[in-house]
Amino acid sequence: MADLSTQNPCGLAQRVATALLRAAGGTTACLQLPPLQGDSTNAGQLGLNAPGFLSLPLAPAVFRKARVAMQDGQMPKYELLISADAVAAQVTQRQLSSAQTLFSMAAGVVVAGKLFLIEAVSASESQGMAYVYRLLLQEACGEWAM
Amino acid sequence: MQNAKDTFYITLRSRLAAVNPARTMTLRAATRPGILVSEAEAPPAQPLLDVFALNWTGMQADLQLPAILARMTCEIRYCTAGTQNNAGLDRGRALEEMDSEVLKLLYPYSAPKVNYTQDPAVTMETIVFWSEPEFDPITTLRDSLSRTVKVTVFAFQEQGEQ
Repeated sequence: MADLSTQNPCGLAQRVATALLRAAGGTTACLQLPPLQGDSTNAGQLGLNAPGFLSLPLAPAVFRKARVAMQDGQMPKYELLISADAVAAQVTQRQLSSAQTLFSMAAGVVVAGKLFLIEAVSASESQGMAYVYRLLLQEACGEWAM
Repeated sequence: MQNAKDTFYITLRSRLAAVNPARTMTLRAATRPGILVSEAEAPPAQPLLDVFALNWTGMQADLQLPAILARMTCEIRYCTAGTQNNAGLDRGRALEEMDSEVLKLLYPYSAPKVNYTQDPAVTMETIVFWSEPEFDPITTLRDSLSRTVKVTVFAFQEQGEQ
């Protein structure tokens, strides 16, 4: 049976989440997104051309280690909590259909100058609207500074 | 060896555009035929559905011939969950369609080797040729079906080629 009770979303959960993330030492994470004009040349598809990723800042965000590596060769995993307000602003600015589309387009996330690969994305919701996004990240093998 | 790998990919991509023009994908903001070289793209969190991914694995060199013959293994991996219209119940048919396309992409089993590092690309003196495909059994993961096809790609190393 459908829940027909009146619920008026007022953005409270979003504001609380943003304030909490900021208070918990909020940092800035940069999504690595492809350029607006894609490279459809042969060289672009063969790894010859630089991809020219755009850095899309998202803040406030909280970054923490999610799991200790217990086996040799296993890269440590990290968790990134991002304010839904920040994500929504970028989704609107880039005229995308959803936050999921934004994350699926991303080639990775740069935090504190280090590249991380996105393994999974989930959202916590209140009254049907996301207030925080949780990204499970894995450290990239490349040691270059971003 | 890199020229052979590049030639193999571009050949299959051109053939796919002719065999099934509707099999396209948008990757890094560019719409292109649904085939990619995994090592030339960012690693995806989930395997991309309904596209062919070329993965270069094995490598051997025959040094007993006048020119070095490189023998490389290419694994073509593809995965499908069917279509939304059929709620995924056509995933078996979708995989069979991709199996059929693989056969068409690989035949004929050769192509002139091209150097794509130069602009415009330069056709080289030898050809790249490859074996008939070996189809692995279907792998089922929840509502998706995937398969790996192994192809051995041969190419002679030309003078001055890296």
